[in-house]
Amino acid sequence: MDISGLIDSLHPLEIKVLTAFGARPFGSVLGTEQLAAAAELEPSQLSMAIEWLLAKSLLTVHAETVTPVVSLTKLGERYFETASPVERVFTAAREVASTGKRLTIPDLQAQDGLDPSDVSKAVGRLKKEGVLLIVQGGCIEATGRPSPTVEAIRTLLNEVHESAKDLTSFSEPHRQIIEDYAVKRGNAKEPFRVDDRVTRSFTLSPTGGTAAEHLLREGVAEEVSQLTPELLKDGSWRGKRFRKYTISLRAPRIGTGKKHPYREFLDTVKTKLVSMGFQEMRGSLVETEFWNMDALFMPQFHPARDIHDVYFVKDPTHATKIDEPFLTQVTKAHENGGKTGSTGWKYAFNGERAKRLVLRSQGTAVSARTLASVPAVPGKYFSIARCFRYDQVDATHATDFFQVEGIVLGEDINFRTLLGLLNLFAREVAQAKEVKFLPAYFPFTEPSVEMHVRHPRLGWMELGGAGLFRPEVTLPLGVNVPVIAWGLGLDRMAMVALGIHDIRELFTDNLDLIRTTRGIF
Amino acid sequence: MPTISIYKDDFESLLASTGRAKRAVSIEQVEEWLMLVKGELKGHNAETGELRVELQDSNRPDLWCCEGIARQIRIKQQGKLKPYAFFGKKPKSSQHLIVGPGLEQVRPYVAACTAKGYRVTEEGLAQLIQTQEKLADIFGHKRKTVSIGIYQLSKIQFPVTYELVKPDEARFTPLGMETVMTLSEILMVHPKGLEHGHILAGQSRLPLLRDAKHQPLSFPPIINSREVGEVRVGDDELFVEVTGTDLPMVVLTLNIFAANLADRGAAIEPIEVQYPKSTPLGKRVVTPQDLGKPRTIQLKTIEQALGQELGVKTVKQALEVYGYDVSAGKGTVKAKLPPYRQDLMHAMDVVEDVAVSRGYGEFVPVMPAQFTVGGLSRIEQTSDRARELMVGLGFQEIISNILGSPDNYRSAMRLDGTDWGRMVEVENAMALTFSCLRQWMLPSLLRVEAASSRAFYPHRLFEAGEVAIPDSTHELGSRTEVVLGSLIAHAGAHFSELHSCVDVLFYYFGKDYSLDPVQHPSFLEGRAGRIVVAGKPLGVIGEFHPEVLERWQIAVPVVAFEVNLSQLAELA
Repeated sequence: MDISGLIDSLHPLEIKVLTAFGARPFGSVLGTEQLAAAAELEPSQLSMAIEWLLAKSLLTVHAETVTPVVSLTKLGERYFETASPVERVFTAAREVASTGKRLTIPDLQAQDGLDPSDVSKAVGRLKKEGVLLIVQGGCIEATGRPSPTVEAIRTLLNEVHESAKDLTSFSEPHRQIIEDYAVKRGNAKEPFRVDDRVTRSFTLSPTGGTAAEHLLREGVAEEVSQLTPELLKDGSWRGKRFRKYTISLRAPRIGTGKKHPYREFLDTVKTKLVSMGFQEMRGSLVETEFWNMDALFMPQFHPARDIHDVYFVKDPTHATKIDEPFLTQVTKAHENGGKTGSTGWKYAFNGERAKRLVLRSQGTAVSARTLASVPAVPGKYFSIARCFRYDQVDATHATDFFQVEGIVLGEDINFRTLLGLLNLFAREVAQAKEVKFLPAYFPFTEPSVEMHVRHPRLGWMELGGAGLFRPEVTLPLGVNVPVIAWGLGLDRMAMVALGIHDIRELFTDNLDLIRTTRGIF
Repeated sequence: MPTISIYKDDFESLLASTGRAKRAVSIEQVEEWLMLVKGELKGHNAETGELRVELQDSNRPDLWCCEGIARQIRIKQQGKLKPYAFFGKKPKSSQHLIVGPGLEQVRPYVAACTAKGYRVTEEGLAQLIQTQEKLADIFGHKRKTVSIGIYQLSKIQFPVTYELVKPDEARFTPLGMETVMTLSEILMVHPKGLEHGHILAGQSRLPLLRDAKHQPLSFPPIINSREVGEVRVGDDELFVEVTGTDLPMVVLTLNIFAANLADRGAAIEPIEVQYPKSTPLGKRVVTPQDLGKPRTIQLKTIEQALGQELGVKTVKQALEVYGYDVSAGKGTVKAKLPPYRQDLMHAMDVVEDVAVSRGYGEFVPVMPAQFTVGGLSRIEQTSDRARELMVGLGFQEIISNILGSPDNYRSAMRLDGTDWGRMVEVENAMALTFSCLRQWMLPSLLRVEAASSRAFYPHRLFEAGEVAIPDSTHELGSRTEVVLGSLIAHAGAHFSELHSCVDVLFYYFGKDYSLDPVQHPSFLEGRAGRIVVAGKPLGVIGEFHPEVLERWQIAVPVVAFEVNLSQLAELA
């Protein structure tokens, strides 16, 4: 064994214990108390050092001895402050004798802090000793003799109170008293307790002996656990020994500050969109049916506007107004097409229904608002909008979720530039090289496209839907250039990136999961 | 939108039009063809040949059946739709349907025809029933605007009458029952009566279809008679009727059924419906009827929208193979939809059909060339900055639902009856757990804290996100604002620990703030402050009241703050 390597790995406390065996001949046995004195260590330090040395097999246990030790219970401490029941009964009997009053057992039992069992036990003991007599009428009389029990208990209380004592150090009669008045199973109400104390004695193992010898012979450079500013300042680190660490130990865990992995994912999408020239739009969580649906040319009888698809606000139920000229123009578009070149849906549009407040059910509502607020032409816009659907919550349906949506306005917008833009999304957002365009249906676009892409990891998946806004949508809102409306379905990509299979886990309350998800995108 | 079952064998038979042999088709071929009908194959049972197909277009009810899908593909193969001869055919004088008075207020319109010579097969019957259900349910708004009945023609004697009767005046054995019932009994007892009876709520007289012998055919839109209105495999003479509240929709629905039965080989005979008063289509309405009108569209419109020069000839051909009736003009096309469609509202609808007919793959994608500048909204920039700072301060970001429960957002926060407890609530909540929008952020973070007592401490959490703050002065009754909420939880969590973080945050926001003591029920009294910037209260910081922690079953002290970033950004 490499002794110097061993010596280097020793903790200062271990060194102290090893050197405490000192010059004693090999094989010397030392008890804990001797060791503590020789090594000048606190009991807690000593016991740590002993455990370490035992674990390293530098020290061995020579013998274990068990000694009974007497100490005071809480009750004993109280008796020490005041008096034991025997003493109180004895004193009371003495007092009665000097005053000539009568004293009965019930009188004693009525005294504060004396309960019936204490009284009977004390009276019995004193009577047996001949210290008390019970005379006619149940009266107690003192005979005038001293009580060995009372004296012994008082002595013992005083002695043991100072510190716990080895039971064998007491005389036989005192040991008997301790026996009689010690806590036992079934009798916890006693002043004394007797516990077994295990004391160990130690001897050095051969390696320990070699190490101790080495330490004595060579001496130890002073060991330093921490390099301090002082050591650096006065240069005293020179000639010091720095304690070696067990490098292979696991690092203690720390908490970190970190973005939410799903938000990180959305942030990368956001950054991509901005880099492609898209301006962010914001909207309101609460919307009118007008902006959520009417402005998007969804007829008021459309099945997706049903009470089972959209959340309606309880109070207030309606918006105070819908801005003109949009209300009038959208009404006409629905009823007969207005000036949009459409036949319209041919029904009586309900302007009051348009004001009904709902929780935004589609991100396209944000786009509709943007169209009505003089957007830039050419212009590109996006929003990552929280939307709400009246759906039974399960692994694939959440009540609230993000929709990534937007619009592109421009003179050069047409079906082919729509496909070109989708190609760009496929490449930039999903890193996909293969794209399929399928005919699709959305109430507010014509033509409409569904885009499927081959994702590098997920294979073929639907990435999003898009189309050219119907003129019935754009013209009433004052926009007379073609407009692309697009939406990306990114939740599946996000779930795979986060390694989850349940959409509800995107908003999980499991802090451990959030902290440990790496979220590699 | 509807998902339907079709059977491959039946589908192949329908694809093989007269004079063409039936051919087995591959699933891949079916999937490709489905692009023509905006359909997606959802499932395929190789054993039974059942294909589950989802149809997307809610304006194309003609496609919600095997016949319609096959027809769209067949036209493409044949190059043109072979016109259905029964449209415009004069009805036989013996086949009339007479409408009684008063129905304007109940269920005004009816359309009907007969179909002979097609012996109903098992698959054909399944399709008839499925089409009937899907059209009445989705296109007909759960039978409110349109419902359909199909009967054994041999048991019916013309003229058929459609009229109002007293609820106890008529009785018959409805489908699914063994005994004769009056109309009011049907409404009270029959499952269909219970399901759809509300459509007739408040009516003192109810619609009834009867034949010349006074035999009830059905009680629209509730249920058919079992005697007459139960079609079986092997029947080869049918009577089909559609009733409803919207005449064009009623006629269109009948047109679809007539075309479907004709595709299966039936000879369709129109019926003249005689109304007591004039309707938008006159007093005597022959059904089925082609309601389509030709529409002239500039070639330029189509070419501009598609971004590709096509020429009149190509456009004409594309539309014809998609079922349109087209004549070409100079720089224009005059296009008319086939009679089983009514979804032409705008020229753009035709544009899309040109694209679908040619196939989206025919169009080469090009990038929009015009330059635009991208950027984030001001509030998003503020929020991102706050998030960066919070991460730097050692906080873990959280994202939560915004829709939650009043118990979490209000009661558990000790805010019942206070201004702080006002929220946007939902009228038609499915469950209390998802019935209101959060009005502040801290309950969202406590939700995580409450679930994470086993996660390594300390917990330092934050979320920047939207809340809805009720505001009666706002036209929507509430404002959507972005707030930043944050909490620290561990055995020794202390006000000053978080106060230091707020300090750092405002330093980098470049705003001076002060803390004014506030009595906020969620926090311990004397340990909560209002965060005030430029005289405006922008948030709150404090140690949570033990009762709040108890309500959330959180066993460590928690300090938290919240700042309204929208309002902070507005201060400029």
